[in-house]
Amino acid sequence: MNTFSLAPLILYLPLAGLLFNGLFGRGIVDRNRKSGERFVGWLATLMTFGAFVVSLTLLVSLATNGFEAWYVPIMDWINIPGANFQVGWTQQVDTLSVTMMLVVSGIGTLIHIYAIGYMHDDPDFSRFFTYLNLFVFFMLILVSASSYLMMFVGWEGVGLCSYLLIGFWFGRVDKNGAPANSNAARKAMVMNRIGDFGVLLAMFLLFWTFGTLDYTPIFDGAVEMYKANHVVQFGGMSLSLPTVLTAVTALLLLGAAGKSAQIPLYTWLPDAMAGPTPVSALMHAATMVTAGVYLLVRSNVLYEVVRDSGALILGLISTPDLVAWTGALTAFFAGLIAFSQNDIKKVLAYSTVSQLGFMVAAAGMGAYVAAMFHLITHAFFKALLFLGSGSVIHGMEHGHHEIAHGHGDDGDGHDGHDAHHEDDGFDPQDMRYMGGLRNRMRVTYITYMIGALALAGIFPLSGFWSKDEILLHAQTHEMPIFILLALAALGTAFYVGRQLIMVFFGKPRHAAAEHAAESPALMTRPLIVLAVLTALGGLLNAPYLTKAMAERNEMHPRGFWFLLEQWGEHSIPAIHLTEEGVVHMPHTPVVLSPVVAGLSMLLAVGGLLLAWLVYRGRPRTWDEADRLARTPIWWWNILPLNTFYSRGLVPLFNRFAAWSAFKLDGEFWHDFIHDRVIRDMFVTFAAFSSNVLDAQGVDGVVNGAGAVTRRLAGVLRLTQTGYARTYALAVFLGAVGLLVYFLFMAN
Amino acid sequence: MPSAVDINWYIALSGILFVIGALGVLLRRNAIILFMSIELMLNSANLLFVAFARHLGDLDGQVLVFFVITVAAAEVAVGLALIVAIFRTRKSINIDEINLLKG
Amino acid sequence: MNWLLTILTFLPLVGVLAILFVKESEDGSNRDTIKWIAIAASAVTFAMSLFVLFRFDATNPALQLIDRVDWIPSWGISYFMGVDGLSILMVLLTTFISLLATIGSWSAIQTQLKAYYIFMLLLEMGMLGVFLAQDLFLFYVFWEFTLVPMYFLIGIWGGARRVYASIKFFLYTMAGSLLMLVAILYMGITNQTFALPDLIAGREAFAHAQNLLFIAFFVAFAIKVPVFPFHSWLPDAHTEAPTAGSIILAGVLLKMGTYGFMRFNLPLFPEASSHYAPIIAVLAIIGIIYGAIVSFAQTDAKKLVAYSSISHLGFVTLGIFSLNSAGIQGGILQGVNHGLSTGALFFVVGMLYERTHKREMSVYGGVWSVMPLFSALSLIIVLSSMGLPGLNGFVGEFTILLGSMGAESLGPHPWIYTAFATTGVILAAVYLLWFFQRLFMGPMTTDEVRTLPPMNRRELAVLLAFLVFIFWIGIAPAGYFHLMDSTVNTLVNDIGSALLAVAP
Repeated sequence: MNTFSLAPLILYLPLAGLLFNGLFGRGIVDRNRKSGERFVGWLATLMTFGAFVVSLTLLVSLATNGFEAWYVPIMDWINIPGANFQVGWTQQVDTLSVTMMLVVSGIGTLIHIYAIGYMHDDPDFSRFFTYLNLFVFFMLILVSASSYLMMFVGWEGVGLCSYLLIGFWFGRVDKNGAPANSNAARKAMVMNRIGDFGVLLAMFLLFWTFGTLDYTPIFDGAVEMYKANHVVQFGGMSLSLPTVLTAVTALLLLGAAGKSAQIPLYTWLPDAMAGPTPVSALMHAATMVTAGVYLLVRSNVLYEVVRDSGALILGLISTPDLVAWTGALTAFFAGLIAFSQNDIKKVLAYSTVSQLGFMVAAAGMGAYVAAMFHLITHAFFKALLFLGSGSVIHGMEHGHHEIAHGHGDDGDGHDGHDAHHEDDGFDPQDMRYMGGLRNRMRVTYITYMIGALALAGIFPLSGFWSKDEILLHAQTHEMPIFILLALAALGTAFYVGRQLIMVFFGKPRHAAAEHAAESPALMTRPLIVLAVLTALGGLLNAPYLTKAMAERNEMHPRGFWFLLEQWGEHSIPAIHLTEEGVVHMPHTPVVLSPVVAGLSMLLAVGGLLLAWLVYRGRPRTWDEADRLARTPIWWWNILPLNTFYSRGLVPLFNRFAAWSAFKLDGEFWHDFIHDRVIRDMFVTFAAFSSNVLDAQGVDGVVNGAGAVTRRLAGVLRLTQTGYARTYALAVFLGAVGLLVYFLFMAN
Repeated sequence: MPSAVDINWYIALSGILFVIGALGVLLRRNAIILFMSIELMLNSANLLFVAFARHLGDLDGQVLVFFVITVAAAEVAVGLALIVAIFRTRKSINIDEINLLKG
Repeated sequence: MNWLLTILTFLPLVGVLAILFVKESEDGSNRDTIKWIAIAASAVTFAMSLFVLFRFDATNPALQLIDRVDWIPSWGISYFMGVDGLSILMVLLTTFISLLATIGSWSAIQTQLKAYYIFMLLLEMGMLGVFLAQDLFLFYVFWEFTLVPMYFLIGIWGGARRVYASIKFFLYTMAGSLLMLVAILYMGITNQTFALPDLIAGREAFAHAQNLLFIAFFVAFAIKVPVFPFHSWLPDAHTEAPTAGSIILAGVLLKMGTYGFMRFNLPLFPEASSHYAPIIAVLAIIGIIYGAIVSFAQTDAKKLVAYSSISHLGFVTLGIFSLNSAGIQGGILQGVNHGLSTGALFFVVGMLYERTHKREMSVYGGVWSVMPLFSALSLIIVLSSMGLPGLNGFVGEFTILLGSMGAESLGPHPWIYTAFATTGVILAAVYLLWFFQRLFMGPMTTDEVRTLPPMNRRELAVLLAFLVFIFWIGIAPAGYFHLMDSTVNTLVNDIGSALLAVAP
């Protein structure tokens, strides 16, 4: 007995929700604002929750069916017999995909609930929930696909949702009147497309190497062909399998860098914060941006083959190392950039980029389970932090609203002037206007605190365990990467501390912060649930349980199967490639290294303390300069790629496009070649023909003939007198003439 | 049995009649008289036809005369109608005044 | 004898006759009658094409439903109609797009209705003839015939520079086809027949001249497609044509070029095709990138869509000259996809134009706030044009690029071509999202946008008809590939064996 055949439901439920809300939602909300919002919001939530329940049953089915991957065909998709190209809409239910399904639908449900409160009274309430369900739909396609191509549908689909939701308030303009939200949306999509370019090319290579795009045959084939030293015939070239796979894995890394916001494509993610906060939590922190990590983990076999073969890109670096370095560098630099951010969401955004770097680095080092572990715990605590920041922003807006009302009532001129003065720059997301919120928003404060400490890596919160696992792996395998990641961990604790101090501690620096109020229960309850998950999430792969599991394994074959290490083993085979071939090894149990754990704890606490030393009681007023503003740390603000893109590449492209369109195609090709050279040459020739050849040549003859006729007629007309007698005489004379001729001259 | 008259006399009479008719057409200005002159010319031709038919013992000439008479009748009918119409508009049947075709 | 295809081709003429009997009264009371007759004629033709589809056997790679009568026997010219996997989808596309374009003209055309609808129906007849004729002479007649109604459609009902555009369109296309005429005559006289299957069977007879003949055909079709650098007529024609004209131009007329590549260039001159494939692929890729970049810089919405056609058809050309099954099938399907998505895009722009009489994108912005449903549907169309997976454009593009990656015709390093062509995917996002943002997103800035009248049911119906196929091909394209698979395979094998025979 299994429930695998229910798997398509995880797609159908959100699909039904989005179709219903998309078609009727607006009408329902417009008819009755209050009940309509409740209906639309809870319907969308219910659909996502339904997907979560189905995912749970899939989990049970996997556990009771030997954890073997199960394929659920839905329908045929592309099928070209002539090209041997066949891809179906088929879901793959294995431990990896179910893990992702649970994360997506579980956290998705909580964020849906939160959003009902957050989006209250938004004119486009139903559109928002339509998009959310659309996102869940695509994300579940992504994680449940059985082939790269179907995965790509979800991959692009979530990119689309990201575009739609970042641009959700598309009408908003920034201080300069530029449509900032629409631009940010477009930027995200284009950046993602650059990554997609890599994924597409990787798929083409995979198809011509393996003849299929389905995961399982590709992975099996890769191992088989590697063992057999297979040579791939490609176009007119013969390439060894590791060479091809090096290209494939490098291209997949490009895709992952786009989606998971790694160097050099990370710049879209901070801009993506223009979207509503639940979106930032769901997509730009917890789920969508982890798709890149998922892709790397899913393709683990390919990376392992490359790692084993020792194939290098241009003789410099192997692709798994490139992945690890990309992740580590991103983790480090994004952490540095987070220091200088004043926008509460931007700090979290850069933090997300940095944490994704940890995951990518883990995947690159071959610690796939650790990457997944961090992915899950990060989903918990970063969703919590974003929702918490949303709650803070909500509170600040409430406070701002309050003071605007207050002074309008009592009409205090001086106070009003002050408030007005501050209004010019007031931004509910700017941490410089906050301070002291711990007293005004208790629930938000406590839950945010838990999330922030987990992010910093404080024992025993979930972030500690997952980060520790990655650090341990780095310490035993790649020392330089370990150093980078350790520094990044220190940086993380520092900016987390800075944020906590600026938002919750000290004194309010703006009237809005003084009047801030706690958010409604619809928003705080999901925070509490996420806080609990954040606190306990470490149990998913806690080292001692794992160790215990390893010891008892013989007695209880199924014991602790839910631990990530053992759970993941079924879809992330620990491949060991030896000289004879490929050996599937049992996973080595996770252990806790006292040295690394102690060091990581030290870094976390140290970072927080450092932040306390620097920022205690600072800034005193909202317009005071940051204490680090003159230090080299700030330079990272100037250095980042963002400037390079927005000041360099984009204007260059714009100018080139304009040049192509208006100079090359317009003035040169269209106007010059066609209109000047071809047409004018023809026109000139035609004019010559017309005015010279024709007018004086051909026309002369014709006109001359006319003139002669006319003159002759002038003479001949004299014969026409109009008298009948004249004509009669002519007839007679003619008759007489004929008579004379016949009588006397004919013979 | 009528006395045989020589064919030459018929030719001479016909010639005289024809010349009278022709001169009438060329010299007179009254349209009616013009008509009568034309009739004279036609009948001079008829006379010649009949004379030669008799002389040659061939009935074709006689037949042709009938045709000419018919045509002449039709011509008179149309011609007189035209003259009446012209007279109505111009109050005159002097053909020298009808010279619209002058080039 | 099988009259089915003949009936299908000339069915629009019945509509023309019927319209001739309606007097276009001064007070306009008969206008609806004319429109309804035209719509009915197109609808019946569409139904007829579905019947042809029903009678079509997809497993048979050869020409089917053949209708062949001697025409000028002394020269080997015959009236020869037939349909196979290469043309069946084109026929369906023609009747479908013509129907939608006819419905779409309901309120856009206000003057000389009678002539307008007569030309539309004549155009449909000509296009069907092009896709069904299997005799080169007959093909040429239909090919040139399509120019005439299109010339008048642009020249009478077009925009401000319509006369310039229509003449340019006519001359440009005509110049190319004359070369083809010479080639057709040469082959016909050499082989004493103009029937395509006979010519293919006897292609040895003109093999010595095949490079020149290939170029003659290629130029004629390349102008129609248009392949870079023969594209200069297209933006003018598209911008000045009335909406329905643009829809048909993009939807069907351009496909006549790519269809010509497959129908004539490949089977008649396999060695020359293989020989020139790399050069043509380079042109196609330049077209992909160049078209995308140039359309990004446009300020005129219609012009942007027009240039995007160059980019899209670059993909189609690339697929065809990959000379393998995936590439060619992708090319055919992408032709259909382009007809649907670009046709729909022109309809979207046309709807806005009808409301404001402005094509400048700067006038718009924030249309989403005023017309949410319309904007959502437009977004789907834009995404389909952009090649979003799950919609039709992706299936075609992916298959083409997949084919080009394994193309033996492109020399030892086909991946270079593919890599460059794939950048078109990024650029498509760049210009299409910019297009969408400028029209639909951002703040509302002008009164024209604030007072946009809502979408009516007729417009909704047309858009939905487009969307049905956009989704259908995107989600379940297997049936479409099935229609062409056997014919394309036969063609590919034929080319392969011809190349093998030549190879030392």
